[in-house]
Amino acid sequence: MTAVGQMTTSAPTGGTALRAAAGETLLEVEDLAVEFRTPDGTVRAVDGLSYSVRAGETLAIVGESGCGKSVSSLAVMGLLAPTARITKGAARFRGTDLLALRPKEHRRYCGEHVAMVFQDALAALNPVHTVGYQLGEALRARHGVSRGEARRRAVELLDLVKVPNARQRVDEYPHQFSGGMRQRVMIASALAMDPEVLIADEPTTALDVTVQAQVLRLLAEIQAERTMALVLITHDMGVVAGVADDVTVMYAGRAVEQAPVREIFAAPAHPYTRALLRSVPSLATRGAAAGAGARADAKAAGGRLDVIPGRPPSPGQVPSGCPFHPRCEVAQDVCRTDPPPLAAIPAEALTTAAPRAAACHFALDVLGGARG
Amino acid sequence: MAERAVVTRTGGDDVVLEVRDLAKSYPVRRGVLLKRTVGEVQAVDGVSLTLRRGRTLGLVGESGSGKSTLARVLVGIEKPTRGQVLVGGQDVSTMSRAERRHLRRTVQMVFQDPYTSLNPRMSVGEIVGEPFRIHPDAVPARGRRAAVAELLELVGLDPDHANRYPHQFSGGQRQRIGVARALAVKPDVLVCDEPVSALDVSVQGQVINLLEDLQDELGLSYLFIAHDLAVVQHIADEVAVMYLGRVVEQGDDAAVYDDARHPYTRALLSAVPVPDPTARDLPGEIVLEGDPPSPADPPSGCRFHTRCWLARQIAQQSLAGPGAGTEAGGAAEGDGPVVPERCRTQDPVLVRLGAPALVGAAGGPDVPHTVACHFATVPVVPQEPPDLREPVDRSAPADRQEPADRQDPADRQDPADRQDPADRQDPADESVRS
Ligand SMILES: Nc1ncnc2c1ncn2[C@@H]1O[C@H](COP(=O)(O)OP(=O)(O)OP(=O)(O)O)[C@@H](O)[C@H]1O
Ligand SMILES: Nc1ncnc2c1ncn2[C@@H]1O[C@H](COP(=O)(O)OP(=O)(O)OP(=O)(O)O)[C@@H](O)[C@H]1O
Ligand code: SF4
Ligand code: SF4
Ligand SMILES: [Mg+2]
Ligand SMILES: [Mg+2]
Repeated sequence: MTAVGQMTTSAPTGGTALRAAAGETLLEVEDLAVEFRTPDGTVRAVDGLSYSVRAGETLAIVGESGCGKSVSSLAVMGLLAPTARITKGAARFRGTDLLALRPKEHRRYCGEHVAMVFQDALAALNPVHTVGYQLGEALRARHGVSRGEARRRAVELLDLVKVPNARQRVDEYPHQFSGGMRQRVMIASALAMDPEVLIADEPTTALDVTVQAQVLRLLAEIQAERTMALVLITHDMGVVAGVADDVTVMYAGRAVEQAPVREIFAAPAHPYTRALLRSVPSLATRGAAAGAGARADAKAAGGRLDVIPGRPPSPGQVPSGCPFHPRCEVAQDVCRTDPPPLAAIPAEALTTAAPRAAACHFALDVLGGARG
Repeated sequence: MAERAVVTRTGGDDVVLEVRDLAKSYPVRRGVLLKRTVGEVQAVDGVSLTLRRGRTLGLVGESGSGKSTLARVLVGIEKPTRGQVLVGGQDVSTMSRAERRHLRRTVQMVFQDPYTSLNPRMSVGEIVGEPFRIHPDAVPARGRRAAVAELLELVGLDPDHANRYPHQFSGGQRQRIGVARALAVKPDVLVCDEPVSALDVSVQGQVINLLEDLQDELGLSYLFIAHDLAVVQHIADEVAVMYLGRVVEQGDDAAVYDDARHPYTRALLSAVPVPDPTARDLPGEIVLEGDPPSPADPPSGCRFHTRCWLARQIAQQSLAGPGAGTEAGGAAEGDGPVVPERCRTQDPVLVRLGAPALVGAAGGPDVPHTVACHFATVPVVPQEPPDLREPVDRSAPADRQEPADRQDPADRQDPADRQDPADRQDPADESVRS
């Protein structure tokens, strides 16, 4: 991986003196709310979201489709659609509230410190320019390098994310790339910004597992080298288990549980987290005996995947009380009326010193294994 | 499951879709004004597949190996450079216009990219109802509104949102709009290119359960392309693994998942991330060395030889130990990794392994297990490569499984049934375990 080293040492900005010490909180989102104007009224896509991520660490954000993961990230980047409005909250990068900056300032500031890998890889690439041109422009804007140098580094970046035959492919157009290659171009162009915080929105969905593993290793290396903070939005619980330090679980626009990765997998404190983890289809293989047996079990059990009953709420019609109550297997009367706040779990209920929080009236019972 | 088995069995044998020796290449052009063709990318290079009624064929493989290209050729969006696509036994290239129109209705596709495959200027209701305009006889005009609402409901979207536009939906919501559109005209065959990759596990489970229900009720057939091997294992009756434009291994799901023989398939299975943070530091992933080759200039001999861990192992053993390398042939040193001569020079074809089982694992028709590797059955003296791991039980968190059940040997179909006992000793299996 010498290329990583070259990339870093040749990056003229982001000198090591400015780099955060590992463990320093870099990005802190607090009580963020985002609304959209639509023909049927205002919908609140993000509703009081808080999270923070430290230098050199990875925060995974998981949650149901449509719960506000992408919208909240775009809000942090200052890239929301014109119909969107941030109604409250802050997003502080090293203490500076990005949301208080003017739009132009905001984007310039992010250009220097915070980069994002967008979920829609193809839509984010310009169809009329070659991949190399687009990567090169990003490098020129960020590092002010010459055209020739930008091109050389564009090839290097494509190589880094394992696009085959990078020297030739750099002159091709996005439609000539496969889904996974486009996704890797997006990762490469975010890395070209040499960010201190990287928000990666589903960066590996189009990658096969071996390339995914390579890309994740690459991110980890770069992260360690530059003490970069990574916010990883993903649906893949295997990826979360493999790379995250902390996990934030979102439901209906807010965080419902926050915990270190080992703890949350071992004993979730929110019924939604628990149901989500139960829905993960696991691969039955390895040591043929165990594999075939497990599959026979799964198929005998009706061949259906576990799911959480009901439909996630639309942002316009969030249920009263706890937003999860219509689908929660342990809901009580109080859940229908009183919204549970995201509250710290008392230290005596924890197995480690790391703090945890959950937004459930019965978090302690759920954590303790009671209730379902 | 019982119900499913019945459907599969009765409808099991009729082939709805078949491709024979299919190839698709794209020209590589250079030059600013006058584009000269300087070569070609062989995106798909000689693939044969069979899809039967009421069954699901899973297609997995390396990013860029040609899966989406194959899908586009199958549904008729692109023309193959070589080979045939047969739908219901008829060659698509010889069909009349009317037949082709009908074909476009019977074979539908869910596209990989949920962002660009939806027209941004059409409302979601119009998008999902569009196939009705193209195929007006599918649903009478009066019933279309209700049909659209029902389709949205089916995929877990709010029917009241039919008047919204694609940009107002999240990634996973758009993906489901694509699924709803493809189901609109009740196709016989659905080609799904990564249909659930943007969905959280619960919604993903709902969509998969829906697809399986529809299959049970209507006898739909699916070609299901995905990177999530657990999902493919769940939904597919048969699995084909692609590498660089070719199918390198194929068989029923039990054969491919439990008895994978191609070193690429093995690497793929080993790299599946485990949903258990305590398993993080266990060794076990077979790391593929080297860079993925380009389909514009595929390697000689076996296309996988530049990255094949098995070939390297065999070559090392034949250099080191007497007797071990007779099959391997003279391993020679050149540039690149040391691999057996055969791997560098001879292109392995898909060959059938051992004797077939009488009944496939899912109760369907017999599906041969085929592998394209010179050393698919050659026993190798076990050696301990640094990057192969002990078998780990990589299943979910402890509270969810009953280990006793999973180990029960009576539950499983004996793999020995499927092949000659003499071939049983499995090279890679041994090395993984030792
Ligand atoms: N421009 C818009 N107008 C109205 N509603 C919108 C708009 N953009 C997003 N939404 C809604 O906001 C909610 C949150 O969307 P977001 O894209 O953040 O979801 P997500 O968590 O990223 O989901 P996924 O995992 O499916 O990508 C969704 O319900 C979506 O329908
Ligand atoms: N229109 C095109 N012009 C030139 N090359 C193309 C074109 N479409 C695809 N290719 C190339 O063909 C190869 C196969 O692409 P394809 O999209 O089929 O891969 P895939 O298996 O679907 O990959 P992924 O899993 O990343 O989506 C790639 O090398 C790709 O760059
Ligand atoms: S507050 Fe009530 S409804 Fe909400 S998650 Fe907890 S138990 Fe379930
Ligand atoms: S033929 Fe040789 S290079 Fe190809 S997969 Fe088999 S062992 Fe590896
Ligand atoms: Mg999203
Ligand atoms: Mg593809």
